Amino acid sequence: MSKRFSLVVVLALFLAVTLVMPSGLAAREGGDLDIALNTDPESLDPVEASSSPAATVMLHSLETLFDMTEDMELEPLLAEDYEISEDGLEYDLYLREGVYFHDGHYFDAEVVKYNIERLQDEEAVFSFLVDPVQEIEVVDDYHARLHLDEPFAPLLINLSHDFISMISPDAAEEAGDDDADPVGTGPFEFEEWTRGEEVVLERYDDYWGDNAYLDTVTFNIVPEDSTRVVQVETGEADVAVFIPPYERERLEAEPDVEVVQTESLRTIYAGFHTRNEPFDDVRVRQAFNYAIDKEAIVEQILEGAGRPSDAPIAPGIFGYSEQEKYEYNPERAQELLAEAGYEDGLEITFHHPEGRYTMDATIAQAIQSQLADVGVEAQLETMEWTTYLDFLERSPEEAEHEMYLLGWGTVTGDADYGLYSMFHSSEWAPAGSDYTYLGHEEVDELLEAAQSDPDEDNREEYYAEATEIIWEEAPWLFLHRDDQMNAVRDGVEGIVFHPREQVISAEAYFAE
Amino acid sequence: MSVYILRRIFLLIPVLLGVALIVFGMVRMLPGDPARAVAGLHATPEYVEHVRSELGLDEPLPVQFGIFMRDLFRGDLGRSTRTRRPVAQEIWPRFLNTLYLTAVALALATIFGMIAGVISAIRPYSIYDQISMFFSMIGISAPVFWLGLILMLIFSVNLGWLPSSGTGTIWHFILPSVTLAAQSTALIARMTRSSMLEVLGLDYIVTARSKGISESAVNLKHALRNALIPIVTILGLRFGILLGGAVLTETVFSWPGIGRLMVDSILARDYPVVQGSVLLLAILFVMINLFVDILYAFLDPQIQYE
Repeated sequence: MSKRFSLVVVLALFLAVTLVMPSGLAAREGGDLDIALNTDPESLDPVEASSSPAATVMLHSLETLFDMTEDMELEPLLAEDYEISEDGLEYDLYLREGVYFHDGHYFDAEVVKYNIERLQDEEAVFSFLVDPVQEIEVVDDYHARLHLDEPFAPLLINLSHDFISMISPDAAEEAGDDDADPVGTGPFEFEEWTRGEEVVLERYDDYWGDNAYLDTVTFNIVPEDSTRVVQVETGEADVAVFIPPYERERLEAEPDVEVVQTESLRTIYAGFHTRNEPFDDVRVRQAFNYAIDKEAIVEQILEGAGRPSDAPIAPGIFGYSEQEKYEYNPERAQELLAEAGYEDGLEITFHHPEGRYTMDATIAQAIQSQLADVGVEAQLETMEWTTYLDFLERSPEEAEHEMYLLGWGTVTGDADYGLYSMFHSSEWAPAGSDYTYLGHEEVDELLEAAQSDPDEDNREEYYAEATEIIWEEAPWLFLHRDDQMNAVRDGVEGIVFHPREQVISAEAYFAE
Repeated sequence: MSVYILRRIFLLIPVLLGVALIVFGMVRMLPGDPARAVAGLHATPEYVEHVRSELGLDEPLPVQFGIFMRDLFRGDLGRSTRTRRPVAQEIWPRFLNTLYLTAVALALATIFGMIAGVISAIRPYSIYDQISMFFSMIGISAPVFWLGLILMLIFSVNLGWLPSSGTGTIWHFILPSVTLAAQSTALIARMTRSSMLEVLGLDYIVTARSKGISESAVNLKHALRNALIPIVTILGLRFGILLGGAVLTETVFSWPGIGRLMVDSILARDYPVVQGSVLLLAILFVMINLFVDILYAFLDPQIQYE
């Protein structure tokens, strides 16, 4: 019955659309979009995928229960509505009806159960986002109920994460041990993936929502920065991601190309080992914050593609709360250092990666020279990424780092992921990713409270309080938000650059 | 001769065992944890441990080596830790891409290098000689990275004649193969020139000339043929070097070859893919050397293998 009903709806919609469709709309249809991506996805299966290039490709054909818009608003997608029980332990999800996967499998509550359990059972890279879900109950075809042991307020936002997407159970079963093709419910259908070369997606004409305009979207893998720039200049690519800051001016002079700067959710910081000298003294940590001119780094090294930090997480993330910036003030820095007993200067080692974050090595050098102005001699140690992770992943006693450059993307858009992971004492390395070992009791309590209280206003309040303490304690040298720079050729309209570092072409078209 | 070839092929076995052992050891001596590299910055320690056992990296080293060798004898190179796909599937298409590119580049290098070298040798210190030696000096010294980008700027951005990067049509071959060929062309030109000059000074050339054989026959039939041995040696070596060392060209031109795959795999600590690619390249290197040795016998009847 529901099938017939959906047929009626589709027909009605079709009629409505054809009757009222403005004449300009038809002209939008068609065209092949080429996007120059920086890296090949490691996988397009939600169980294995972990990088933003993978997410960019996947979200065109796989959909999530909820959608996080580019304005960081949570909107229904495959789930139309939801209800959370009073105690925060039951989440009722009401699913969209009449949705089919590209292979013909229908989408229902069983599929939701299958997918979340698959992520948990196969220990997907991002399964921790849904690990608090203990059981998924299929109430009826379009009603799933998630059961939790303890309240976990970030759950809805986590369900919007691109790697918690719904894949056709048939495709997943068929793939067995291998990675499944991304057979989803989205506006584009997976066509072909030549590893290291390109991924081709084709418009899915029976999409449940408005069909995409483009015939195909091709993601070309172009690892070299300068080559991506050349491709968008020659028109071989319509869109190129990750434009290096030093190419910005040249590209902007190009009449057919537009450079688009988009905010991101990634904060760049230099962390301190707060359990060892000299950074066990909060005055030293604050002195470092005053000693560095964050504005200059953003303006001169990043060519403006960033925003000096005024909180440990970026604006736009739920739970962000603005603090008074540590303004550049070398005199104040020197005073604080003197108070801490370092009036004659200080020698430290500063570890940093190269090529991981935008201009990371150059930024480290800038920090080194500004520190020298306040009498701190920082010795730079460049490390290759995997070696670097290994070096940092140690307990406070075994750790050898003093100060280290790193970035953290709060990819869910919720402070839980940005603050809890970085500052809760249960997250100290090697268990988690906190290499500062700050361990502040009050911060711990606030972050726990924010995790279990389903009330949004209360949560914001908790995060604001925690942020204030973290800011004051300064376990980081707070640097900046690392913005994205992408280039688009004229005539390409409707491309969305998402703060989660994704390029979305579901509504893109070629304007004539 | 065939006994010699067979013996050389049998010699492959100890060579490959040695290569397997060395590669196995070398990738594991690299600092950095492959399980962490796979799991990523955001992963929990439990997940990292899970990945480690899934990849079989929690076993003691000798056991890992045993498993590696056992699978190798079954023709199984394992699975990539990064993509979880069989290594052979990862390597083969990438290897073919590099092979095509290298073959085209080497053909260009041979043709142009030998022509330039022969002309230079016939008319030493002439203006042709000076021009070609000037360009071959540039060819040897220009960094591949720089040369590739300059060619791309001229022929793709400014003139718009050629695709800047990627694969697909025959036009896509031009810029990367010219870039890749530059150094080899220069080397071959210089090698041809000096080796020809040496031969041209020998007595039998004087004799040939005095017999009244035409100048071109002297140069091509008598001189060049005898000058070929060092050129063939260089060619063989370059072929091996280019196969594994085209990574810069591949990166600049987004050419999905095995060099880039190897670098990506080393960075991701993808042991099985690194092992597989190095083994494949080692086999090729040995085979090419064997082929060159056999070629010697054809070029110079004095060389005989027992």
